[in-house]
Amino acid sequence: MIDHILTALAMLSSWKLLLTITICSIYGLFVGAVPGLTATMAAALLVPFTFFMDPLQALVAIVTMEAMAIFAGDIPAALVRIPGTPSSAAYTDDSYELTKQGKAELVLGVDVMTSAIGGLMGAVVLMTSAPLLAEVALMFTSFEYFWLAALGLSATVMIASTNPLKAGLALLVGLFFSTVGLDITLGYPRFTFGSTELLNGVDFIPAMIGLFGVSEILRNMASSHLQYPITSVKAEKIFSGVAKTLWKYKANMVRASAIGTFIGILPGAGADIAAWIAYAASKRFSKEPEKFGKGAIEPIVDAGTANNACLAGDWVPALVFGIPGDSITAIVIGVLFMKGLRPGPMIFQQQPELVYAVYISFIIANILMVPFGYLAIKVSGNLLKVPRNILMPAILMFCIVGSFAINNSFFDIGVMLAMGILGYFFENNGIPVAPIVLGMVLGPIVEQNFMISMIKTQWDLTQFFTRPAAAILAVLTILTWLAPFLPALARRFRSQTASA
Amino acid sequence: MKISDTVVGAGFVAAGALIIAGTLNYPTLDGGHPGPSLFPRILGGMMAVFGGLVSVQGLRVRDATEDVDWLRLHRSTAFINAMVVLVGVLAYILLVERVGFLLTGALLLFIVMWRLKVPVVKAVIVAVVFNTIVHFLFAKVMRVPLPMGILWW
Repeated sequence: MIDHILTALAMLSSWKLLLTITICSIYGLFVGAVPGLTATMAAALLVPFTFFMDPLQALVAIVTMEAMAIFAGDIPAALVRIPGTPSSAAYTDDSYELTKQGKAELVLGVDVMTSAIGGLMGAVVLMTSAPLLAEVALMFTSFEYFWLAALGLSATVMIASTNPLKAGLALLVGLFFSTVGLDITLGYPRFTFGSTELLNGVDFIPAMIGLFGVSEILRNMASSHLQYPITSVKAEKIFSGVAKTLWKYKANMVRASAIGTFIGILPGAGADIAAWIAYAASKRFSKEPEKFGKGAIEPIVDAGTANNACLAGDWVPALVFGIPGDSITAIVIGVLFMKGLRPGPMIFQQQPELVYAVYISFIIANILMVPFGYLAIKVSGNLLKVPRNILMPAILMFCIVGSFAINNSFFDIGVMLAMGILGYFFENNGIPVAPIVLGMVLGPIVEQNFMISMIKTQWDLTQFFTRPAAAILAVLTILTWLAPFLPALARRFRSQTASA
Repeated sequence: MKISDTVVGAGFVAAGALIIAGTLNYPTLDGGHPGPSLFPRILGGMMAVFGGLVSVQGLRVRDATEDVDWLRLHRSTAFINAMVVLVGVLAYILLVERVGFLLTGALLLFIVMWRLKVPVVKAVIVAVVFNTIVHFLFAKVMRVPLPMGILWW
C-alpha cells in the first residue's frame, strides 16, 4: 500500500499536475462564487479539456475543482444571500443574517474551515471504505449490479427530492434517453428515427452541458444585470474566533461528516441534499433550535461540514461499482470510459495508483482550500461584480464548442440545445434535473444486467432473490421505497399494540 | 415558464403512451420473450402513471401558479432573449461549416451581448477578442477541428 501511495505522490508532484491543481482551484472558486454557475456545470465544461489530459490529471482536475466550488458557494450566500451553488442553499439565511449583524468575517472563516475539515473527514472515509467495498464488489454478478443500480434509482427518487413524483418523472425521462440507440439483446435500433447519429445513443456529455449550462443561460436571459448590494469583508479577520466556535461544535462536525459521507455514498444524493439533512439533524439535536434560520452559527458548522464531506463519499460507489454518487461523479465515470478505463472493483487491482491519486488529491485540495479560500474571500467583492451580461454569452460559447469537441459533431450541439430547453422547462416547473443524468447513467446498467441475468437463467426471476448479496440489496431497495411510509406504519403498529 | 401541474402531468401521460406505441413493432427474443421492447414499455407505463398522479395532484391543490401570460409573451424581454439564444445556436449550427467559427462565433456572441444591453462597441470588442481566444484554445491547443470557413487561421 505504501508503494502505491508513494507512486501516486510521485505522479502528483510533477509540474503539470501542480499547474492543473492551481488552475482548477481558481476555476472551482470562481464557478462556486458566481451565483448561477454550479459545480456540475463546471465539471461538464471541463470534460472537453480532459481529452488532452492523462486519466490521472483529469481526475485530479475534477476533484480539486469540485472541492473548491462547493466551498466558494458559501461566499455569495453570506454576502448577498444568494447561494453560489445549490449545496449552500440550506444555510444561506443563517449566513446572511449573521452578515447583517456584522459577523460576515466569522461566517466566512467558519465556512472555509468546516469545508476543509469536512472534506478531509470525507477523504478518510473514502480511503478506508472504498478498498473494503471493492473486495466485496469482486463477488458481484449481474444480479447484484442490477439491484445496486435499482437501489441508486430508488434513492434518487425517494431520498433526494421533496417531490418524489416529479423526481420520478425526471428519472424516467433520463432512463428513456438511455434506451435510445442499439439495444443490448438484439442490436435493434430504438427511437433513432432513422438518424445514424442516434444509433450510439444520446451522448451524455452534450446532454449534461445542455441540462446544466444552457438551461442556466436561458434562465439568466431575463435580466441583464443582477445588482445586489455586496457586503465588504476584511479578509484578514476571517480566522479570529473561528477556533473557539469550531471547538464548541466539535461533536457537530463529527456528526455532520458522518451524515455527509453517508449521503454521498448513497447513489443519487449529492452535496445539496447532505447539507439539508445535516441542517435538519443539527436543529433536531441543538440546545437552541429556536435560533435556526435567524442567524445561528451552529447549522452553518453542520451543513458546511456535511456538503464537503459528501463529495468524497460520492466517489465511493463511482470508483467501486461504477455507479455515480451524484451528477459530478456521473461525469467522472463518463470521463473514465472515454479514457478506456472501466470503473469498478478491478480498477483497485489494476490501477491502484489512480485510486490513491484520487485520495491524495482530496487531501491536497482540502488543505489548499484554506489559503485559496482566504484569497477568494479577499477578492469576493470583485468576483461578485463580474458582469453577467458578458459572462453568460461567454459560457454559451464554451457550451457550444465543448459539446462539439466531444465527437466533433454538429448533431451534439443540437442535443445540447434540446437538453437546455428541456432543463429550463423542467426546473421552472419544479421537476429536478439531476435525476435525468442519473437515469441516463444507470439506465444501461439496470437494463443490461437485467437482460443478461434473464438470458443466463432462462427467465428465472427467483435468482434475483436467492443469492445472498442480491437478496440484501433487494431488501434495501424495497426499504427505500417504503421509507416515507415507515413512520406512519410504526405509529399504527404502536397504537395497535397499545390498544390490544 | 411555469405551467399548471395538471397540464404538465397530462403531457407526461401522452409521452409515456407515445413511448409504448413506438415499441409495438419491436422484435421479440427466442421463445417469445420480450427483448428490446421490455425496458421502454415499463418506462412508458411508469411515466404515464406518474404523470397521471402529478396531474391529479395539480387538480387537487388547484394550483393557480401558472405564470405564463400567453398573449403578452412576445413582449417579455426574458422570452425574446431566450428565443434569441435558441435561434442563435440553431443558426450557428447551420452557418458555421460554411462561414467558419471565427465569424459565426463572434457574431453569436455579439448578438447575445447586445440583447443583454452591453454597449455596442464593447460588445464587438469582447466578442472578437473572446472568440479568438476560444478558437486558439480549442482549435490550436486542443486540436478540435473547428470549421475554418471563409477565414483561415
